[in-house]
Amino acid sequence: MTDDLAIAVDSLSLGYGGGPVLDGLSLDIPRGQITVLAGPNGCGKSSLLRAIRRLHKPSAGKVLIETTDVASLSEKHLARQIGLLSQSPSAPGDMTVEELVRLGRYPHQSLLRPWSREDSRALNAAMAGTGVTHLRERPIGSLSGGQLQRVWIAMVLAQETDIICLDEPVNHLDMAHQIDCLELVRQLNRDFGRTVVLVLHDLNLAARYADQLVFLNEGKLAASGPPEALMTEALIAAIFDVEATIIIDPVHQRPLCIPLRTTAHSVG
Amino acid sequence: MSHLSTNLAAARAPTSLVVLTVACVLLCLSGVAFGSSWIPIDQVAATILGAGEKTQKLIVLQLRLPRVVIAAIAGGAMATAGFLLQKITRNSLASPGILGVIDGAALGVVIFLALLSDESNALVTSIAYQPVAAMVGAALGIVLVFTLSGQQSNSAIRLLLFGIAVGAVFKALVMVLMLIGPIYRTSQAARWIAGAVNEINWSEIQVTALLLLPLLVLSLVVARKLPPADLDETSARSVGLDLPVFRIVVFALAAALTAVAVAFVGGVGFIGLMAPHMARLLVGRSVYAGLVGSFLLGALMLVGADLVVRVLFSPVEVPAGTVTAVIGAPYFLFLLMSRQRHDG
Repeated sequence: MTDDLAIAVDSLSLGYGGGPVLDGLSLDIPRGQITVLAGPNGCGKSSLLRAIRRLHKPSAGKVLIETTDVASLSEKHLARQIGLLSQSPSAPGDMTVEELVRLGRYPHQSLLRPWSREDSRALNAAMAGTGVTHLRERPIGSLSGGQLQRVWIAMVLAQETDIICLDEPVNHLDMAHQIDCLELVRQLNRDFGRTVVLVLHDLNLAARYADQLVFLNEGKLAASGPPEALMTEALIAAIFDVEATIIIDPVHQRPLCIPLRTTAHSVG
Repeated sequence: MSHLSTNLAAARAPTSLVVLTVACVLLCLSGVAFGSSWIPIDQVAATILGAGEKTQKLIVLQLRLPRVVIAAIAGGAMATAGFLLQKITRNSLASPGILGVIDGAALGVVIFLALLSDESNALVTSIAYQPVAAMVGAALGIVLVFTLSGQQSNSAIRLLLFGIAVGAVFKALVMVLMLIGPIYRTSQAARWIAGAVNEINWSEIQVTALLLLPLLVLSLVVARKLPPADLDETSARSVGLDLPVFRIVVFALAAALTAVAVAFVGGVGFIGLMAPHMARLLVGRSVYAGLVGSFLLGALMLVGADLVVRVLFSPVEVPAGTVTAVIGAPYFLFLLMSRQRHDG
């Protein structure tokens, strides 16, 4: 593996008993960049993210982070390498923001190494970096959706992992908070050099924030590369069964997909 | 406002624990002071610390103190188990009493008395093995509840429903065994089931303490992992806690604590439900303060209940469990109703 690779996925297969969810998928994820996984419903993008974090055990193939097979790492060791925020995380509503963000420090602690000054520093940095410091005493049940998402990201940030995986982080957010959240993610990537792997549903957001865009289809890698190369009418039609026009966003100079109509045999 | 309440919670935890400790010591002394003859509390304390004349020493140290001590540590252990269960299921209605542990222990005791007593109504083996039977039964109960709820054992509601169902089956079996059994077994079993703090000697207390001490230390060790266990399974995994495995560890620990506790004092109900709930109200969200507070409150409750039955019904031996049930059952209803208001 070359030095600029953070994660190498090597012919990974995964199934839950039915058909294969991932089918011999190989993918390189560059260090220090934002990689966005996209594709139609059920294409395996969330499963891939979860398999990278070893939340699912693959039936074949392996995932390497920094040349180490994730299967060989302990739970805590892995948690110091990769932070993951799932689609719908939950915690008791009476837990305070600070208590929740503190949990990000759990993998750095042990019986012999209790809460330290280093943990406090990471906790404060994570809350400051996500702009939730002023909420620290608030119970999370009293927060708005956008605030809550920032708090969860703060928890993952407090883990201080080189790799951060976020599974559809903007799913339940309104437009303002979607932009807010992804700007935050980009800032974490640019300022702290974190490798970020995102699953996003919205192609236009994906194209806007991705350094590398990855299209999955039916458990296989369909295409990967910079958004400019991937957002083509032919590829969108082939993968999403949607006839679309691609223009260049005049503000961000990124490709923008305008869906026109669905093509044959597409099922909602 | 939330600022204020968090700060208050942080400040009140140590104060509450000190108050609880003092209350616990005073109640234990009163428990020893009361009996067929009243011994003033200061004399009780002095005797425990080594003073006093021979008869008084015998009464205090050999006759009365062991009973109070076993009530305190058994009540404390049950409450600790309840605290662990309520935390790990994220449900304040969870308790050892409705997870099949106590009913399992009851079945163990009744089977022990049934199998090992002869026609002349006497036990063919030492009564000292009865606690072992209770522990085996308790383990059986919790394993059954866990196996049956299977994949969804992380769903608190499912676990509680299976606990109630398994408990009901065990209760029925206990009833059948008691009805077809000889009188010796029936009365002995009935006392156990109602939860009676009996006369006990120091060697039995030593055994209990030796069993409970590592379990209590282990409770403090696992407490460190309780905060991340508040998360959903995926989030817990991603901060490095294998929640399904940890959950089984905590359940096993709670079952063991309960089993050892009920082995000697019988199926005292509701302490594992009430004490942790009250402890959280008193000390706030800290898991360590919660654990210690639960233990102290549990000890207070069982020593208090045993004192109440002795004061009210002496010389008739009424099981202390009747008092905890009379107070605990309405408390449980109150919890149910206040939750409904929250949820609705």
